[in-house]
Amino acid sequence: MAVPNANTAPLSEYAGDEVSALVLDPGWSTTRAGFAGEDAPKSVIPTHYGVSSSDSRLFFGENAIHSPQANLQIKNPWSADGIVEDWDTAAKLWEYSITSRLTGPKPTHPEKNGLNDDPNGEAMELDAQEEVEKPLTENPLLMTEPGWNPVKAREKYIEIAMEDWGVPAYWLGRSGVLAAFAAGKASALVVDVGANITSVTPVVDGIMMKKGVQKSPLAGNFVSNQIRAMFKQNQVPLTPHYMVSSKTAVDAGAPSQATYKKFETAPPASYRRLQEERVLTEFKESVVQCWTGPGKLSNGTNEEIAKSQPPRPFEMPDGWNQVFGLDRFKVTEGLFDETAALEDDENAKPTKAQTIPAMIQAALNQVDVDQRPHLLNNVVVTGASSFLPGFNDRLNAELQGMYPSPRIRLSAPGNTIERKYASWIGGSILGSLGSFHQMWISKKEYDEHGANIVEKRCK
Amino acid sequence: MAQSGIKVAAECVTAYEELKSKKAFRFILFKISDDGKEIVVDETGKEDDWDVFREKLISSKSKDKRGKEGVGARYAVYDFHHTSGEGIVQEKPGLLSWIPDDAGVFVKMTYAGSKEALKMALPGLAADIQASATEDLEYEGSVRPKVFKRL
Repeated sequence: MAVPNANTAPLSEYAGDEVSALVLDPGWSTTRAGFAGEDAPKSVIPTHYGVSSSDSRLFFGENAIHSPQANLQIKNPWSADGIVEDWDTAAKLWEYSITSRLTGPKPTHPEKNGLNDDPNGEAMELDAQEEVEKPLTENPLLMTEPGWNPVKAREKYIEIAMEDWGVPAYWLGRSGVLAAFAAGKASALVVDVGANITSVTPVVDGIMMKKGVQKSPLAGNFVSNQIRAMFKQNQVPLTPHYMVSSKTAVDAGAPSQATYKKFETAPPASYRRLQEERVLTEFKESVVQCWTGPGKLSNGTNEEIAKSQPPRPFEMPDGWNQVFGLDRFKVTEGLFDETAALEDDENAKPTKAQTIPAMIQAALNQVDVDQRPHLLNNVVVTGASSFLPGFNDRLNAELQGMYPSPRIRLSAPGNTIERKYASWIGGSILGSLGSFHQMWISKKEYDEHGANIVEKRCK
Repeated sequence: MAQSGIKVAAECVTAYEELKSKKAFRFILFKISDDGKEIVVDETGKEDDWDVFREKLISSKSKDKRGKEGVGARYAVYDFHHTSGEGIVQEKPGLLSWIPDDAGVFVKMTYAGSKEALKMALPGLAADIQASATEDLEYEGSVRPKVFKRL
């Protein structure tokens, strides 16, 4: 509970009612930003960014990173573990997500904006010796963070906000707790299937049970890599859009007859990989399916049943096309059954502990026995990768299999926006409440207590 | 304080004490005030019939941030009674939060994010039931086993 003690109690409450707060929900795949009180984040930008190999300039945003350039390397500031690695770039990217669509860039200094130029050519005397204005001095900022964020990272978040951006007030919320609240639950087991990481967060009475938080790489990118492995096995050519100049229709399985674009210097491999990822996303959205259970895909006659379901066609950007039957189930099976994961020199087999059912078990084992049935009755599913068709049915079947006696209930908003942006929406509502003003850490408090104040005030 | 910063009005504690010590009510319904600042008493009732209470929860309304009324959420304290085979009566007040899955996200967020404040303001609660679907409000099937665990 964030009960301020005498040392950290607000000295002067920040009057957050007058200006809308900003809400920033940084993820591995996208960075979401918007004003508190709005229903969805207005600014959703890719977290991948481009860096020029000639002059190290940084490029942010959808348009900048998706056009092919010979010297544009694509990178991501997050580590594979789901913690920010490159803080300098993360801070710039996050700032861009806010200033590009929401607050606008800071005004040019009055000396240089042309409005104060003396017609006689002499520079006007201005009170120009002030400090350079920081970019976000107007609005309080609410940020979300993953449940495993180490103390150092939490402190870094508030430092960036207070010192680099000059925000007047700040608050940091655990994304699992925000997602539970947004689903109407003070206690819940939050299963968040993201791009880079799937996590399981037990929340009891509004508090994240830190010891119980589990994470694993069996998430959206894992499924992409399984698809890549399957494509390799079946000699499916993965051709991203930017390479194709025009295509003609060909028969299923026949070689493509497209004309390809010519590049003097081909864009770097990191660029191609990001563009391939977009094709894989289309494939996930239109072809891939989770085996819904009961039982694993490899059990008994399950594969036969899966095979008997109508196959789905897919066409590559260059016109190559094929139908996919059993394979469209196989690429997701590893999320639940490590022995079924496709393996090659680029894809090591996951461990059992990394599978989603095992993570749920591990999370529950860290929670009081009395709470377990309650949490199983309140499983909240969130994250964009949970939209894989059949995912919820399978998760439900796995849980029923592991915990036959208590009632299992999954709650996953059918509303796409609410499921994809659960934590942002939770933060947006909290930050818009009049009552929330006493929760903000003001600039003054930060100056007085230092970055460690987040540990006391944002539990 | 709960994470929403919403506070508990003194009248909630008073009503709870009256239920506990004087058995003045069988149940108390609480809601978040329309100005969103605090949790207040919505209604008290003396009816012995669980279904009367249940019906009140199911038909409750709450306002979203634009002031539009829709599916509602409530907190409640209910004085649960149980008579054993030997005729021994047990009475214990328990907290029940009713935040239905079909309520709007604003209502869900504010009620879930403020519940702790109420729970901490009312000492001596014997149960804490989180109900989000009408089946969670079935007395015999769902509620009683959670309140009287070993009976």
